[in-house]
Amino acid sequence: MNNILKEKDFIRRIEEISNQKIYDCYQCGRCTAGCPFAKFMDVPPNQVIRFIQLGLKDDVLAASGPWFCAACLVCQTRCPRGVDIPRLMEAVRMIHLRAKEGLIDVDKIDKEFLLDAPPLALMSAFSKYTY
Amino acid sequence: MRSANILIKLEMELPYYPGCTLYTKAKPLNTSLHKSFGALGVKLNELPHWYCCGTTFNLAHDNRMSLIAPLRILAKAQNEDGKVIVPCSICYNTLKRANYILKQDPEALEIINEHLEESYDGNEEVIHPLEFFRDNKELFKDKLKKDLKGLKLGCYYGCLLLRPKEEVQFDDPESPTIFEDFVSLIGATPIDFPFKVECCGSYLVVNSPDAAVDASYKLLKNAQGNGAEAIVTSCPLCHYNLDALQKKIKIAHSEFNEIPIFYFSQILAIALGVEEENLGLEQNKVSPINLLKEYTLL
Repeated sequence: MNNILKEKDFIRRIEEISNQKIYDCYQCGRCTAGCPFAKFMDVPPNQVIRFIQLGLKDDVLAASGPWFCAACLVCQTRCPRGVDIPRLMEAVRMIHLRAKEGLIDVDKIDKEFLLDAPPLALMSAFSKYTY
Repeated sequence: MRSANILIKLEMELPYYPGCTLYTKAKPLNTSLHKSFGALGVKLNELPHWYCCGTTFNLAHDNRMSLIAPLRILAKAQNEDGKVIVPCSICYNTLKRANYILKQDPEALEIINEHLEESYDGNEEVIHPLEFFRDNKELFKDKLKKDLKGLKLGCYYGCLLLRPKEEVQFDDPESPTIFEDFVSLIGATPIDFPFKVECCGSYLVVNSPDAAVDASYKLLKNAQGNGAEAIVTSCPLCHYNLDALQKKIKIAHSEFNEIPIFYFSQILAIALGVEEENLGLEQNKVSPINLLKEYTLL
């Protein structure tokens, strides 16, 4: 019973942050098919969504998929069910970041790159990867 | 004296929001855009006291704080003409999405207005230069000084000008044509290629450069395969990934041939006869000089 409550809690939290209905997804896989970065992910977008539907919190939070999402919105454009998948990926990232678990340590970024990269690359990455 | 006054009145002026990167790494976009608009008889008036829009749009629905920066910019701009020119794809996307949400969500409107000095309703119009050129083609009459005939330019849109479709309403998100129309308008040959709407890797370049290298390689190869001699784009982040990462692409793929990346405004400035020192070509990592000399444009 406790576990079921935890699962429902997790699903509700994702739905609140993303403002998406998680069961709208019927797993056609079109998001993953068009995702330019799916090949770098251990768990691709449609499977991340499946894990959320099943309330598999630990598996979702361990997946690299959401961190590889560049918010390019190709999947959002093509989803036949109107699911805004990048918002779901952001919700997973937000659960990490709000628990103070960032992906990158700003001090460890290569100095040469820091001087060379345009500010919007860094600002974007910091907003997605740091808390 | 009187005729001079009339002339001054005839010159069009438009409010302009450059965004941070146009003052630092994307200076060539800023300079060549000002010069191009000037050559077309339009003065860009930079908004007073502008600041960062917050870059990539925050997708967490329960966090409305991130809407405040873009909406403050627009609230200040509304004293002007009801429209503002925004050339950076990321700023354009963020400002337009913030506007859209404000119009759709009365609760957000209420919360946000509590944090703004002046009230704002989401009606300021955000315009990209390519939209302005599309709607004001007559400005180009007799202004094109150099012949770009035969120069084959791959028109790269990237993500943020196009998506999400209902919020930015720029063009068809899967097969847009506004860039090709612009390239034709200034006399060059537009090259259509299937990857023109694919992501370049965006901010992944910071933490997963391999993913950005892979994405950029694929789309550059695709453009070259369709005959492009150079790429034109509007986004400073796409420009960085496509231009600066070619060094890494060459290491990973020895058969890869370099291809110059232009801001649309650089190509426009060339066509309008803007002096070379205002094009910022020396900041391109892959030099376009030889290509431009080949077409006697320099």
